[in-house]
Amino acid sequence: MTKLTDTHISLAHGNGGRLMRELIEGLIADSLGDRLLDIENDAARIDLDQRDAELLITTDGFTVKPLEFPGGDIGSLAVHGTVNDLAVSGATPHYLSLNLFIEEGLEVSLLQRLLCSLAKAAGEAGVKIACGDTKVVPRGEGSGVYFATTGVGLRPKSLQLGFSHIQPDDRILVSGPIGDHGIAVMLAREQFGLRGDVRSDAASVLAFTRTASEFSGLRYMRDPTRGGLATVLHELHRATGLGVRVYEPQLPIRDQVKTVCEMLGYDPHYLACEGRVVAIIAADQADSLLQRWQQLPNGGRAALIGQLNRHDTGVVLETELGGERVLEELEDDPLPRIC
Amino acid sequence: MQQRREFIIKGRVQGVGMRPFIYQLATGLQLGGWVRNLNGSVQLQLEGDQQAIHRFVQLLKNAPPLTAHPVFVDEQLLEPTHETGFRIRSSRTTTEADIHVPPDYFLCPDCLRELNAPGDRRYAYPFINCASCGPRYTLIRQLPYDRPNTGMADFPLCPACHSEYTDPMQRRFHAEPVACPECGPQLSFENLNQSQQGSQALQTTLELLQLGELVLIKGIGGYHLCCDATNSEAVEHLRQRKQRPHKPLALMFPSVGDDELDAVRAELHVEATEAAVLRSPARPIVLLRKRPDSRLPGLLAPGMQELGVMLPYSPLHYLLLARLERPIVATSANLPGEPVLTDAGEVNRRLADVTPNRLHHNRPIVRPADDPLVRLIQQRIRPLRLGRGTAPLELELPQPLPRPLLACGGHMKNSVALAWEQRIVISPHVGDLDSPRSRETYARTIADLQQLYAVQATSLVCDHHRGYFGSQWAAAQPLPTCPVWHHHAHAAVLAGEYPQESRWLVFTWDGVGLGEDSTLWGGEALLGRPGDWQRVGSWQPFRLPGAERAAREPWRTALGVCWQSDTRWPGAPAGVDLLYGAWQKGLNSPLTSAVGRLFDAAAALLGLCQRASFEGQAPMWLEQLAWQGEHPGIELPLVAEGPVWRSDWMPLLAMLLDESLSTADRAHAFHASLARALLAQASELKQQHGDFAIGLSGGVFQNRLLCELIMQQSQKFGLRIYLPQQVPVNDAGLCYGQIIEARARLQSQ
Ligand SMILES: [Fe+3]
Ligand SMILES: [Mg+2]
Ligand SMILES: [Zn+2]
Ligand SMILES: [Zn+2]
Repeated sequence: MTKLTDTHISLAHGNGGRLMRELIEGLIADSLGDRLLDIENDAARIDLDQRDAELLITTDGFTVKPLEFPGGDIGSLAVHGTVNDLAVSGATPHYLSLNLFIEEGLEVSLLQRLLCSLAKAAGEAGVKIACGDTKVVPRGEGSGVYFATTGVGLRPKSLQLGFSHIQPDDRILVSGPIGDHGIAVMLAREQFGLRGDVRSDAASVLAFTRTASEFSGLRYMRDPTRGGLATVLHELHRATGLGVRVYEPQLPIRDQVKTVCEMLGYDPHYLACEGRVVAIIAADQADSLLQRWQQLPNGGRAALIGQLNRHDTGVVLETELGGERVLEELEDDPLPRIC
Repeated sequence: MQQRREFIIKGRVQGVGMRPFIYQLATGLQLGGWVRNLNGSVQLQLEGDQQAIHRFVQLLKNAPPLTAHPVFVDEQLLEPTHETGFRIRSSRTTTEADIHVPPDYFLCPDCLRELNAPGDRRYAYPFINCASCGPRYTLIRQLPYDRPNTGMADFPLCPACHSEYTDPMQRRFHAEPVACPECGPQLSFENLNQSQQGSQALQTTLELLQLGELVLIKGIGGYHLCCDATNSEAVEHLRQRKQRPHKPLALMFPSVGDDELDAVRAELHVEATEAAVLRSPARPIVLLRKRPDSRLPGLLAPGMQELGVMLPYSPLHYLLLARLERPIVATSANLPGEPVLTDAGEVNRRLADVTPNRLHHNRPIVRPADDPLVRLIQQRIRPLRLGRGTAPLELELPQPLPRPLLACGGHMKNSVALAWEQRIVISPHVGDLDSPRSRETYARTIADLQQLYAVQATSLVCDHHRGYFGSQWAAAQPLPTCPVWHHHAHAAVLAGEYPQESRWLVFTWDGVGLGEDSTLWGGEALLGRPGDWQRVGSWQPFRLPGAERAAREPWRTALGVCWQSDTRWPGAPAGVDLLYGAWQKGLNSPLTSAVGRLFDAAAALLGLCQRASFEGQAPMWLEQLAWQGEHPGIELPLVAEGPVWRSDWMPLLAMLLDESLSTADRAHAFHASLARALLAQASELKQQHGDFAIGLSGGVFQNRLLCELIMQQSQKFGLRIYLPQQVPVNDAGLCYGQIIEARARLQSQ
């Protein structure tokens, strides 16, 4: 088998010649191993039995700085992001496509680690890489590597999810502590020189979404990625017109995340998660779903965090002392208002 | 000589007992004619002896009803019709709106006499009132001000009240809230084990207060949370229950002695102007200095030499305090920053954990009004918060407006303003706009003002800060919006209040506000006039580590300025490496030039306050400490950076950490240095730019010591310095400045 002998990526690795073949065969195919369907053909054939199911497709691009952070890296993120988008739609993901945009000068050993991590994540989520493409961009025109993945999956036709199913009085569940990913990446990026013990929550949420899908009262699921939980709650409010009320003391947030947020003045409600699900479910089934979630690996801190109602006119946070605060929509750069 | 004259009288002439007053005056002088309400004004025709008419006008101008502000706008000579009797004609409504909404008044001396007269049919009746006293703004559902349009609609008058109500010779002629024990509202008390009505309810309340219990008491503009102010255990209990460890609690004193102030004087210093305002119909909370021998618990206002004090203003308060014979804590019943609660159901639901004891009554509070707050600063009483008795505040604008405007105000300490033609009306204090309830009250107050005054705004004015709720609210309305910079609005307040000055240098010192360059301003000197401000003075910028959190945690700003100046702060909190990293990278550490934050830093460096449990705590405590010190302050470097002169705060740090000085002296030196820096900027700028009037605007100038030091030191420079007098100097006054600023900009377009 061809081996990639260079230690750093050069522009020539994207020119279609020998070096590129070495990169694809010797590094990419090798790293992805049995997750890779085929590199011989221009187009791949995929097997999907869709008698009682609908075919779902989603796509996502991945840029993250640093490329590796505690609890994950851009490789695993490229799988989890797309897998989770399918999962919260109620689908089982089957295939991914994979595009790589590599910046000239990237260390080959780093690329290899990222690809192995990607393969491992794909294996755990049960998805195969069906096709892909590689480009090399000149130095300074990328930040190491960008990934893009497209995923296809199947959703049972019987599963009806969406904003339109949501009723006032439905409950809001979250599958685990929020903000871990946002804080882990921020600490790693800013290189504060601290041995941060916060790890990203990046993971597949399939176990959670499959469990939730067994409940007839499940209305809607969403992964709180960019913009965090607050953004999901605002989407809920906007799409349904219902009030959203969250009980602050119930929100699962790790102590370490709280400490960092308090110190730096961040609000954990807006921090990204990469391995959490928010589910909206009928009030009478909320407790049993919660119990089931709590029994799953990584589900110990799942929580019922709030409910929808007709009387609130936005997203309201009920604080410990019985106070109420409006949870604002995320601003690009929130500035202090206290005068 | 006989003649007939017609007068149109505007100003505050409705809901103040004007027509019966005029009736009695005219009848007494044997004048014929008639009077009627004409939307917001009074139309009056008098016929009779010329001298008598002249005398009538003099009397009405010089000694009008207690709460009236008559303004004679028109007078003409008519053909005599030989009309002899005087009558009150029914109101006429026209399409032109000139409505004046009266605020809520105190209990007038006449009613007070009746309240205390055992034979009177309203003896000890807690809802006694007359045409010149009692609730108005908080009672009126809509205008015209007639009983069916008030919260009294559900109380049909008994025959006795009815005859007083319809007799122009009586004090209660058309007194819309008129009531008596037969037909009017009643008290009711409830807690977990009892519920009582009427005088029994009052009695139980009294006994519980005497026992040191907390009681929620429904007043004029909302509920108070009350306890015996002389009982430190009760006060401590109240603080625990309200989760309010430090914020000063307002007190209500019993009215004792000829001028009602004997009980107050036993504990506090009262200057003549303070005495006058304490007794004024608005009955505001006045900040007064404690006497050295005061026995009041320190817990009422930790860290403070001053206490907020008011006199009873409703008959209920008179009854309660007269029997209690000691001051009570009367703090508004609400959650921090939220508007005061007005509804029994809400009080029961939201304050269930505070205390089970509630004294309700069944006269509805149509809209909330917190107690107003004033302070004597630089020899004048200045409002710090508008509310019951002072709002809606109606003022005349220096110039007319082309179209009605609504000003959205600021985000904290919000008030809003409606302005049209040459008038502006400012709402009572709404509160901080973070909670859903504040936001509801905000929207309701805006709708309400427009409905009450029958004026619809066609444009909105808001702050440039997009995170302010007012800006978001404005963006959601189908009306054009004119954003105004925060400090331009602060500056414009002075230009509005003192139109005789045409060129200003306004020092706009406050917490923070969004500036034109997207940094947080708060220590600026703005030169020019409304619609045309140029920043010419400021402070060296510094970072706020943790952004908004810095406003609640003064230690953050203190660290920020120490890091920036390489100052070692021995008292610095530990475990802040992460924050230091963020500060170095500018991460969530925005730049500011806000003097309010320098006060925070100073309070932290002196060890006074590291974390504030209420807004403004650190600067307030610093000022109070500084009163006990003495130090002329230090000279701060002033550097020109383009057109902007910047004062450098750095030398302050070494002085604040200088342990050879007492903390009080250091606190005083901080104030004195800031005053000197302000005057150094002013005199430098005067040389450069020529003559101007100097204004002080923004929350920092609620600080009496700072203002007085500035005034004292300014004498040698020969500068004219102004402070706002009618409008709060803090963010509650922003709405007024927004209107002045917007008008100037509409003009120049
Ligand atoms: Fe301000
Ligand atoms: Mg996506
Ligand atoms: Zn009266
Ligand atoms: Zn009656």
